[in-house]
Amino acid sequence: MSKLVTTGLTKAFSGLVAVNDVSFTMEEGEILGIIGPNGAGKTTFIHLVSGILMPSSGRVEFKGKDITYMPAHERSRLGIARTYQLIHPLENLKVIENVMIGAVFSRGKSLKEARRSAEAICAELGLERLERDTAQLSILEIKKMEIARALANEPEVLFLDEVMAGLNSDETLQLIATVKRIALERKMAVGVVEHVMGVIRELTQRVIVLEAGELIAEGPYETVSKNPRVIEAYLGGAA
Amino acid sequence: MKLKSSYIVVAVLSVIAIAFPAFLGAYPLNVARSIMTYMALAISWDMLLRSGQISFGIAGLFGLGSYASALAVLRGGMDPMLSIVFAAAFAGVMAYALGFAILRLRSMYFSITTLALMEIFRIVMHNLHDFSGGPEGVVLPSVIFKGASPALYWLCLAGLFLTIGVSWFFEKSKMHLALTAIRNDETSARSSGVNIFNYLLIAFVITSVLQGMMGAIQVQSYGFTTPDTAFDANFTLLPLAMALLGGIHSTIGPMAGAVLLGVASEWLKLKIPYGHLVVYGIIIILVILFMPQGLFGLARKARRERSKAGASHE
Ligand SMILES: Nc1ncnc2c1ncn2[C@@H]1O[C@H](COP(=O)(O)OP(=O)(O)OP(=O)(O)O)[C@@H](O)[C@H]1O
Ligand SMILES: [Mg+2]
Repeated sequence: MSKLVTTGLTKAFSGLVAVNDVSFTMEEGEILGIIGPNGAGKTTFIHLVSGILMPSSGRVEFKGKDITYMPAHERSRLGIARTYQLIHPLENLKVIENVMIGAVFSRGKSLKEARRSAEAICAELGLERLERDTAQLSILEIKKMEIARALANEPEVLFLDEVMAGLNSDETLQLIATVKRIALERKMAVGVVEHVMGVIRELTQRVIVLEAGELIAEGPYETVSKNPRVIEAYLGGAA
Repeated sequence: MKLKSSYIVVAVLSVIAIAFPAFLGAYPLNVARSIMTYMALAISWDMLLRSGQISFGIAGLFGLGSYASALAVLRGGMDPMLSIVFAAAFAGVMAYALGFAILRLRSMYFSITTLALMEIFRIVMHNLHDFSGGPEGVVLPSVIFKGASPALYWLCLAGLFLTIGVSWFFEKSKMHLALTAIRNDETSARSSGVNIFNYLLIAFVITSVLQGMMGAIQVQSYGFTTPDTAFDANFTLLPLAMALLGGIHSTIGPMAGAVLLGVASEWLKLKIPYGHLVVYGIIIILVILFMPQGLFGLARKARRERSKAGASHE
């Protein structure tokens, strides 16, 4: 059974249709690229799937269960996690606490257990000195913390919204390798939004392309990148 | 090591607090009671503030507790001690019911609504002549413990200890994570599985129980109350000023602020009647302008800077 299925998912913001009739599926263990020009609706789509926004119409299913209008905190318990394009650190909590929180509230762990699993996740990502304030972190560390926080929910489906943005190419390569390894280990389905096509090519097995809220193409990166409609969408955006 | 020594400090201070009646007379014990009452209110206000919600309704729940306790004794013939428990529970039930409406609100809208509720409670007590005694208020047949100062002091201290204990629990349990996450970023909190409304409701009910309890202790200790005494805006303003001065988002900050402002205002009351209120106003303004994190916030910041400086020398 597919992990995640959307059918005709649509979100309109007073007139502007940010996500328009998007139907897609995500399977266990796959890394899916979500691409499209600025304003295509990628972030809004993730908001809809993770419960941060409610759709205008359409349907979201997680392992066959209708979760279209389920609140976000329940979805994170069910197994859907995500990071934010605009970073959301909890600045009055230590780094370790920022990560623990998902283990405590999504997984119902005790503080002690949550701390232990948060430490393990941070170690996997190479995030150190966890008693620091978030204000002391570099961009790379903030991004790692956001990923770690999502992983602490122990999700089956994870969305990464432009986590590589702002990193240099070494850092990006390092993070790609880490994400790949973790996704494989945990058999997670991962949806990756990135503007850097190198990242998409490296990471993903399949890509969906959004333009003005609509899903215009789907398939392996190599095929999709040759699709005239996709080229048009990107050139149109650049022109 | 450090933890152990702080436990010892707490134990010593507690023993001193419990032993006060052995060497203090009635007047200082009275002053101490007033400070302890404000301290408990300041701490309970701060507990909800840790979620980012600024309540102006302390006096409302305090007054509600006062009236619930007084009327339970007067109209229901309840035992005074039991009436304190009853009043605390009553405040909690009211907060639970009201919470469903007002905890959907944020920032200014929440604050103003809590202020309005306080006013509504006061007006209701004003106008329910037959039941609540109207503007003249209620007089109890007797003061609890026959008005013995040490006993009244210990009763108030017990209320304070309970408040401190709950606040400490808030700091050390997952409540800390939940409330801080809600204050910092509700979106992140939701994505990490925090049921925001539930945690706000828990915090609002618990702090209301504590405020109602302190109101009940107060009315049983004085033997009377009126709408204007029970719902006095000072029960909102002074705890707020104390918490701001000492440092918000902690237990120790409001405690320190309550001692400083409480002692200062007693002294000022003797020098210039009503002058203490002017001083409160000035302190609120100065603190908000120059040290929004309060005294303990300043100390924390200094410690951080020092450790940062130390780290860069390594
Ligand atoms: N809360 C909102 N209210 C109104 N319009 C919105 C809102 N959020 C997003 N939009 C609009 O919806 C469209 C899609 O935005 P979205 O952020 O999903 O795009 P995106 O594909 O993530 O873009 P980017 O690559 O720049 O991150 C944009 O036109 C945006 O302005
Ligand atoms: Mg986006």
